[in-house]
This record gives sequence, C-alpha cells and structure tokens, in this order.
Amino acid sequence: MKTRRGEWEARLADIKYSLYLLRKNPLVMAGTLIAAFFILLALLANIIVDPKLAYPEGYPGGMYPFERKYVWNANHFIQWGPGVSLYYGPEFFPLGTDSYGRDLLKMIILAIPVDLYYATIITIVSAIIGTLIGAVASYAGGIADEIVLRITDVFFAFPALVLALVFASILGRSLETLTLALILVWWPPYTRLMRGQVLSEKEKPYVEALKALGASNIRILFRHIIPNAIFPILVQATMDFGGVILTFSALMFLGFSPSPAIPELGNLAADGYGHIFDAPWVILFPGLTMLIISLAFNLVGDGLRDVLDPRLRR
Amino acid sequence: MKLYEYIIRRLILLIFVLFAVSILVFYFTRGFPRGIAPWAAYIHPKMTAEQIQQVIKEHGFDRPIYEQYFYWLRDVLRGDWGLTGAWAQGKPANEVFFNHFPYTVELSVFATIITVAIGLPMGIISALKNNKLPDHVCRVIALAGYSTPAYWFGFMLQLVFFYYFSVWGLPNLPSSGASTLGKPNITGLPILDGLLTGNFVYAWDEFLHLILPSFSLAFISLGFLARIVRASMLEVLRQDYIVMARSKGLKERVVIYRHALKNALIPAVTLTGIFFANLLGGAMITEYVFSWPGVGQQALRAIFQGDSNFILLYSLVFAVIIVLANLVVDVLYAFLDPRIKY
Repeated sequence: MKTRRGEWEARLADIKYSLYLLRKNPLVMAGTLIAAFFILLALLANIIVDPKLAYPEGYPGGMYPFERKYVWNANHFIQWGPGVSLYYGPEFFPLGTDSYGRDLLKMIILAIPVDLYYATIITIVSAIIGTLIGAVASYAGGIADEIVLRITDVFFAFPALVLALVFASILGRSLETLTLALILVWWPPYTRLMRGQVLSEKEKPYVEALKALGASNIRILFRHIIPNAIFPILVQATMDFGGVILTFSALMFLGFSPSPAIPELGNLAADGYGHIFDAPWVILFPGLTMLIISLAFNLVGDGLRDVLDPRLRR
Repeated sequence: MKLYEYIIRRLILLIFVLFAVSILVFYFTRGFPRGIAPWAAYIHPKMTAEQIQQVIKEHGFDRPIYEQYFYWLRDVLRGDWGLTGAWAQGKPANEVFFNHFPYTVELSVFATIITVAIGLPMGIISALKNNKLPDHVCRVIALAGYSTPAYWFGFMLQLVFFYYFSVWGLPNLPSSGASTLGKPNITGLPILDGLLTGNFVYAWDEFLHLILPSFSLAFISLGFLARIVRASMLEVLRQDYIVMARSKGLKERVVIYRHALKNALIPAVTLTGIFFANLLGGAMITEYVFSWPGVGQQALRAIFQGDSNFILLYSLVFAVIIVLANLVVDVLYAFLDPRIKY
C-alpha cells in the first residue's frame, strides 16, 4: 500500500509542476480561457437562444419554413460595399442574417454545441480504438503487430479526407454517419503513436520486474504500460480536436449535410457559398468562430506537448 | 540491412498497399448500389439491347463483386481504366486524370515553395528567440495556420484580394480558375508551357491566378514546418558540439548557420517531402473553393457522382505518390544523417 501512495504522490507532484509550467505560459492560459468559454457557451446554448429558431416544431426532415434571403442591418458600423441588401426594420441582427432570415449570431451559438459534441465523440472514440489496437498489437508483437502495422500503412497511403468522403457517401447523409466515417479514418495515427510508446516501454526493467513477480500480461499492459505511455496520446488528442472540428465542418461544407438549415458551423458557412461577394458575413463569421475554437484547443495542446516532453521542458 | 535491400522491401510493400487500397476502394465504391452504375458510361442511346449485353458481359458487370474486381484488374493491366460518367463527358478516366494532374502539380509546387520560404525562417526565429515575443508571435501564426478552415480562408482571400481590391480601385488578383489566355500543350504545366512557347502573357497571368490558391494551401502547412524546425533547432542548440563551437570563440552567426542549422534541417527536409505528397492529394478543398482545374476537384465531383473508375485511379495514383515520397524521404534521411542505418 505504501508504494502505491508513493507512486501517486510522485504523479501528483509531476502534474502540479506541469500545471505550474502551463500557468507560466500566457498563450496556453489564453487558449485555456477561450476553450473554457466556448465549452460553457455550448452547455448554455439552448438556454441563451431558443432552439426552436433552428429546429421549428412541425417541420420534420430538415424542411424549413422561411424563404431564402440575406440581410444586413442598414445602421451597422461595418460597410460591406456595393451589392449588399440592407435591412431597415426594427430588429437588430449583430452579425446579420443567414439565407433563411435567421439571426446569424443566434445560429452560431446554437451551432457550437453541435460541433463540439460530434468532435468530442470522434476524438475520444478514435483515440480509444487507436490506443487499444496499438497497445495490444505491439505488446503481443509478432504477427499481430505486423498485421496492424500493414493496415495502418494502407490508411496512411491515401489522404484521410478522400477516405472520409468515400465512407460518408456510402453511409448516407446524416450527422451520425459522418461521425462514423471520421472515426473510421481517424484511429490509425493513434495506433502508430501508441505502438511506438509501448515498444519502448515494454523493454524497460520495470516490466521485467513485474513479470518476475508473476503479474499477468493484461495487468502489466493495462495497469502499468498504458498509464505510463498515455500522455503523448492525450496531447495528440487535444491537438487533434481542432482538426476534427475543421474536418467535420469541411465535410458538411462540401455537401454531406442532411439539411442546409441545420445549425453547424460548416453548414452555416456553406449557406454563404455562391454569395461570397453579396453576403460575405454569412461565410465570414461561422468560419471565424471555427478558427477561434480550433486555435484555442491547439494552443492548449501545443503548450501541453512542450510541458510533457522533457526535452522541451525548461 | 543494406540500403538497397531496404528499398526493395519497401517497394514490395508498395505493391501490397496498392492491392489493399484498390480492394478497399473497389468494394466501397462498387459494392453499394448508389451513384452512377459503372457500365452507364459505356452505353449510348443508339446501342441495341445485344450490344449493351455484350458490354456488360465483357467487363463483368453482371458478376458478383469479387469477380468484378478481377475483371477490373484485368482491364487495368491492359491499360484500360474505364470510362467516367456524364460529369466528365464519359471520357476515359485516365485521360481526365492526366489532363488535370499538371494543374495540381503546379499548385503543389508553388504551395511548397511558399511553405518553405515562410515556415523555415519562422521556425528558426522561434527557436533563437525561444519564449520571447517573436517566438510567441510565430507560435500564434503557426497554430493559426493549422487551425484555419481551408475553405473559409480561401474565400476570405478572394473577398479581400479580388472583391475589395477591385471595389477600392486597387490592382486586384484573379479570384478563381486557371488562366484562359493560352493552352498548355507541351508539358501540360501552364506556366512552363507559356515560357517555352514564348507566350509570356499567359505565363504571367497563370502566375497571378496561382498566388491566392497556393498561399491558401501554404498557410495551412507552414505552421507544421515552423513547429518542427523550432523543435529540432532547440534540440540541436542544446548539443555539446554547439557549446564546443561557442566556447572556441566562433561568432554566433557562424554557430547557428554553419553548425546548428545543417543538423536541424534534416527533419524539415523530410517533412517538406511528405507535405508535397500530401498537397498533391489533399488540395481538394482549396481546388474546390478556387475552381482550380486540378484532379482534387475532379475527384470531389467523382465522389459525389459515385463514379468508381475515377476514384479508383485517383486513390491508387496518390497511394503510389505518398508511399514513394515516404521512401525517398527515408533514403534522403540516410544520406543527410550518416548515423542512420537501415
């Protein structure tokens, strides 16, 4: 029992020191704050904005009752130039409206939880699948390792986006099938990463000591090797989170959206496709939101990597 | 293991990868009844029922899916990649591919040049001014690069450099497409052909058309390069021989450019190779946004139309490019760093 406590104390001290290093870096702090803000916004989105604006009752299957029009407030301080249809009514739209005449700011707020939710699922599920496959295969070694290695080779041999597009086009258009398509292409990097980690861990003396003590393989792998090798995976997952949001919304943008009226950042941006010069705000603001969210998570991941990598630690 | 043994091993692996990719893509594009039927392109209204039956029999379209694969393989080994659907006027898939491929090559070359020209200095500055203001600025630019939605950034570039520049009466860049002032007819690469045939107006116009899409592509990848250069530079600067070089009184400039940079660049060289390969295949979204007539945009159309012949050709060519790029990079690594043995 005593050794267990010592181990946890050491780990806690390490985490505390890492947090101290992270706090010292202003960019990581900024990234953490922005990410926390967007997570909070996502949790409160349905309270701040009435979700019926985006999902009206009595219109199933993405049928949306409004006519397509883009407007921008006439009294707004941003001047978009010629060709913009101005709105002189009593209502004020801070970011203008989308093609259905809905307030774009409210749509973006409703879109944030959708993007964060699916990106979280994709990142976590593919990280878990990739980690398990990589860890088990490389711990077992031999033929299992070789097979897994060759399978990841195939996945690395063509661009992930192409594969995701092909999967998505077979599976049909819905947010769930898009999620599945992205998970299918997203696990191989984690497998490779975990494989490398486990390969170096399993040669270490403590594994030999555990074997001598008679610990089972499952116990050695899951209780000792994976916890010791998991940090690079966590960093990779944080760094990937932004990329997942971008890829997910890119697929929606390219036309795998089940309905053009669903509030999702890529989908909202796609609404402005073809109206880039007469309604630039429709594509500008959703994309900017996406950039900020993704940048925040990348800043956190980048800081984590610097801190957790002892070679870059200062 | 000798180097040539390693190369042979990797080439054998390439064949395996090609088979796996083709089986995977074949199954996913033909095994599900949606999109264009693969025989649709072979049939035209004037054909009689017997002729249609003959076409179906010849290419094995009435067979089960695993037999169809071997029919496809047989056709491919004869050099027949099949026809495309109506989206490309039913031309042979390889003709469509190789008509558009030079445009993608041109775009990728330019994007790689911009990536290296901006990303490399950024990484070096970041490492030398580690954790000072220039490092933070470079870090934000680099991270912003790969946090940017590719399609969105392309549109923003068009909006500013085409639309607003023309509204404000400034000299503006063309917003989309390739130059139409001439025709690529020797190598297929418009700029090169313009220069070779003396049609300098065409070459210049094509260059102007290239600026926005290639910058849009480069902005996304230069961040990766800058980060890698920074990390490897930091590691090299900590080595004993750098301390040695400094302690024997060399100027800081000589230490950095002659001793540190040479070793720090090894990962950058390899990364650039991988980038180039990935750009060739991954430029889809940018090509779509800028209506660039490259293969990526055609592949996107093919995927939306469910056109299996073109998708198969596209994914196989890129599998070859990516695997070969990795191989070249590994071999280059061994030449650049004599410590590495295979």
